[in-house]
Amino acid sequence: MCKPKVGVYALTSCYGCQLKLATVSKILEISEAVSFESFYMLSSASTMAPDVEVAFVEGSVSTEKDLEELHEIRKHSKILVALGACSVNGGVQSWAEGDKKVSDLHATVYGTSKIDAAPLQATPISKHVKVDYYLPGCPPEEDEILYFISAFLFGTFPEPKDFPVCSECRMAGNPCILIERGEPCLGPVTTAGCKARCISHDVPCIGCRGPVPHNTSWFDSLASVFKAKGMSRESVRARMRIFGAHEPNLEGHLDKIYGGTK
Amino acid sequence: MRYVKISKADTYQFLERLKRRGTLYAPQKVSELSYDFKLLEDVKEIAFGYPRTIRPPRRFFYPAEETLFTFDTTRVELYEKMPEDETVVLFGLHSCDIVGLRIMDSEFMDETPDPYYQQRRKNSIVIGLSCLPDEYCFCNVRRVDFVDAGFDLFFHELPDGYLVRVGTVTGHKLTDESSDLFTRVTEQDINEMRAFETKRAGMFRLNGNWDSLRYQLELRMGHPMYDREAEKCLGCGNCTITCPTCRCYDVKDIPSIDGRTGERVRVWDSCQFRSHGLVAGPHNFRESKKDRFVNRYMCKNAYNRTTTTAYCVGCGRCTQFCPAGISFMKNLMEIGGYVEMIPE
Repeated sequence: MCKPKVGVYALTSCYGCQLKLATVSKILEISEAVSFESFYMLSSASTMAPDVEVAFVEGSVSTEKDLEELHEIRKHSKILVALGACSVNGGVQSWAEGDKKVSDLHATVYGTSKIDAAPLQATPISKHVKVDYYLPGCPPEEDEILYFISAFLFGTFPEPKDFPVCSECRMAGNPCILIERGEPCLGPVTTAGCKARCISHDVPCIGCRGPVPHNTSWFDSLASVFKAKGMSRESVRARMRIFGAHEPNLEGHLDKIYGGTK
Repeated sequence: MRYVKISKADTYQFLERLKRRGTLYAPQKVSELSYDFKLLEDVKEIAFGYPRTIRPPRRFFYPAEETLFTFDTTRVELYEKMPEDETVVLFGLHSCDIVGLRIMDSEFMDETPDPYYQQRRKNSIVIGLSCLPDEYCFCNVRRVDFVDAGFDLFFHELPDGYLVRVGTVTGHKLTDESSDLFTRVTEQDINEMRAFETKRAGMFRLNGNWDSLRYQLELRMGHPMYDREAEKCLGCGNCTITCPTCRCYDVKDIPSIDGRTGERVRVWDSCQFRSHGLVAGPHNFRESKKDRFVNRYMCKNAYNRTTTTAYCVGCGRCTQFCPAGISFMKNLMEIGGYVEMIPE
């Protein structure tokens, strides 16, 4: 059997997504079924951007080197999958987008000392290259990782989820902490797939899986609910931007509910 | 129909005995405001006076996710995965939920028999429990506030116990096996039951019936309510997931890593999700949030021929569990021109 070639790459990130991929229960089966051409967490013999059928890219574009590498990866892969919150939505490192200059952030952290990396405002990889599929999560769920890989092995494609965590939360039989306790849960606008992991542990959703795709994240509706519960624009905005700073509808929707002032 | 009586203390004893008949589920408190049907380990944990559960009872026969069969593409074979032959005992269903199950039965057994649903349902035992309405209930105008079929036993609250209606042969057997716990119904019990029913009827916020509502809705498809309320909607699907009569599902193939085998799973879907109306093309016949919103109002107010009631049983879940606070009942009242009678 001809084994599909797979590459796993990291841009700026915590490496948690590739760690998750490396430690899924069926990793041995996966490594039998595919040929990992590059996967630094599994083999130090990995190299940058060999020709592959499927490339998984974790991390956001946060340095010029990231950008160069991303273009190289794209050039050498047939299918490119954004793996995890940083890659899909820019991750928590992109929260400053539009609010703070990257040069100021750099100066705050490094002062005047010189470092090798030339920084860029952290962005999702889709800002720079064509992305074929998105595998969200911080980190992605094991069953979704397995589903993606097996779908490719079957010669089909993974179907994206276009509904929110909220529905999975009710299916799990959880009481609604937004309704009952007025906590700022982002379940209604966050992509499903985690089976409401956090809420099942009584923690409100922070939106790590990113906004529901296809423009079906109703930030305005949720902001209106939050406003009615007495939450300020700033607190709602801050919460929605943790993983959603790059969501193009966010500011417009907040303006609509709270008025146009920041 | 046969009528017997049981005391409150003996009801706990009866619940204990029901555990021997199968896996017993009953309403239990899960948070400050919410209840859910859960495995009843300690019979004292049961919440007799619950308003409604988060999840409707349909999930016991039609789970949110189930594998229908596994397949092998190289051998071109499939292997059916039937549910285990076990008895589920559901105690404490309100009349709306029992009608909800009858509606599910009409779709999954009478209309197009579904072997998975049938297998789970055939051995089940359903025991009803009387209730008092809260602000979200409108089962009376849906004409399902009293149920005469679809249960094995139905417990009506009395000051010192329960008046039990026996609905089926299984129900007869259950009371016969525990004849030491059941007594005859007295004249006083009948009066007490009547008093409870009268008190209950006076607690609903609405009266009359909504039988013609379907036409009101069909004639007012362009009503401004839809624009106003759809705007608030989050498209999260809470209304449909918690609905006792929603039954739309999606079927997916989950392949295995071997590139050869896999399983076909059925998962609950919702008409409030974008992909529900998505077909090849990719065309979407319910493109906007408003299209999806209107669809639910039409679907829930259509008639079910078996129960001769609307698909909406007035349980109030879609309103209580809507994070955006959209009131299905109030929106329907607006279109139907119904007036609220707030009880004293």
